[in-house]
Amino acid sequence: MNGPILEIDGFSGGFVSRAGEFTPVLHDVSYSLERGAVTAVVGETGSGKSVTALSVLQLQAPGFRRTGGQIRFDGTDLLSLDAQALRAIRGRRISMVFQDARAALNPVFSVGQQLADTWRLHNGGSRAAAMEKAVDALRQVQIPEPERRARQYPHEFSGGMAQRAMIALAALICTPELLLLDEPTTGLDVTTQADIMELLLDLARSRGLTVCLITHDLGVVAETCDHVVVMNRGRVVETGSAERIFTAPQDPYTRRLLAASVLTEDAG
Amino acid sequence: MTAQPIVSSTPVPQARRASRLSRWSLSMRIGAALLMVYAGIAVLSFFWTPHDPYMPGAGPSYAAPSWAFPLGTDRLGNDLLSQIMIGTRYDLGICVAAVFISVVLGAVLGTIAGYYGGAADLVIMRIVEIFQAFPGLLFAMLIVQAVGAGVPNVIAVLAFVGTPDFLRLARAEVRSRRDWQFAEAARLVGNRGIVVAFKHLLPNSMGPLLAFTSVNAAFAVLIIASLGFLGIGLDADTPEWGNMIARGQDGIMTGQWWVSLFPGIAILGMTGAFYLLGDALSDLFDPRRRT
Repeated sequence: MNGPILEIDGFSGGFVSRAGEFTPVLHDVSYSLERGAVTAVVGETGSGKSVTALSVLQLQAPGFRRTGGQIRFDGTDLLSLDAQALRAIRGRRISMVFQDARAALNPVFSVGQQLADTWRLHNGGSRAAAMEKAVDALRQVQIPEPERRARQYPHEFSGGMAQRAMIALAALICTPELLLLDEPTTGLDVTTQADIMELLLDLARSRGLTVCLITHDLGVVAETCDHVVVMNRGRVVETGSAERIFTAPQDPYTRRLLAASVLTEDAG
Repeated sequence: MTAQPIVSSTPVPQARRASRLSRWSLSMRIGAALLMVYAGIAVLSFFWTPHDPYMPGAGPSYAAPSWAFPLGTDRLGNDLLSQIMIGTRYDLGICVAAVFISVVLGAVLGTIAGYYGGAADLVIMRIVEIFQAFPGLLFAMLIVQAVGAGVPNVIAVLAFVGTPDFLRLARAEVRSRRDWQFAEAARLVGNRGIVVAFKHLLPNSMGPLLAFTSVNAAFAVLIIASLGFLGIGLDADTPEWGNMIARGQDGIMTGQWWVSLFPGIAILGMTGAFYLLGDALSDLFDPRRRT
């Protein structure tokens, strides 16, 4: 149980266009996630941070092709798993929170039902017991009136509430060891962002989850993360503890990234 | 006019129910009501008809519509009202059974083709294309001739002819949402592909499928009547509407218009009701109107 929980080792790949042309986007990406730590992967849009993280769950954008490297989760190479072995990991050991929670919930089922179905998928049991779990999970993510909310449909949820429901699904209904957060607060208003991040970190810390936060919001990173991975144009340019990255950035790109955010002025 | 408050303070469930009812357009109400009447007549015909529909000579030959025989009688003296009532069973029953089978078959095969793509899609779609190369009615006639007459055969043939349309529709709907985030999210929590396809994607496609069901049913009624009119599919003495029109043909030139006219109106009413309902349903499920 020691050593990093996830190791991305020399991961390379790119997109194949319709015409068959190959454009490399990831170049020898390597980083690892320490158990129980919150690691941020930062970088501008198009830096390859999401594509890498999605590859962890074998969820690749259409047209993406891997050209090399390994992604090891707890010692097993995720990229060599068959469908069945992959399903045993998805949701049960690694789960994910998406940027747009309302798009990630099925519009035709009530929120409670979706949580309950996923609970039964992993744990079995009766419908009633699963629904109780679902309501309980909604309560734990501080959704008011969870019994009534569980019967509502995704379109009746606000963005922030939907994200809370999604977190309940990914972190409480699924009981993962590794939680991937793909820009979980982008698109929410600022006060909601702070609430959601606080909730996520509370849950992660109290359950000893390893968290991988993909974001371009350096403010969030400075406040919450233990480690930082900086990516630029498909390469990892710098890794290190959050404190060091923010106080003594080595790479010119990291310096520019920090300079571009208002954060350094606040912190300075 | 008093100003309506823009923001309603009604609790959510009630507000939803109200908005759903108000979305029942006029054509939907008319279509649904007409179909209810037809269904009522079909059920009633099991218990009561004005005269014995199968007894020739219940009245005089070619009696004009009167109080005793509201829709008149045919050449053999059969009461037309009683026959049309019995006919509702055939036309509505065969149509509903056939469309039901088409929807189920089409949805299952279409979902598989749409979700998995690749070889499954290729095989299913090529077969569908072969069948769709023939006009529906012609194809139905050919198969009925081949497999023989009888209600179950006609149902099977109609279901067969109707399936490709539902299949294409279900395939397109499922395919368009296959890569949506909620489908990915469902896969990501460990669901099998087949579960994502049928449990998560198919229910999202039910709106357009249901709307098309009604339009398809109208088409099915026309095929049933056409087969009846041409004398293939059901026995010649079955009181099926198309059959009845065919039997009344002789009377048209000699002034006995009612024998063909009333079954014709029955067909018109039923197809019209299905079209109205289908039109209203497709408006209701139009994605551009979705909020």
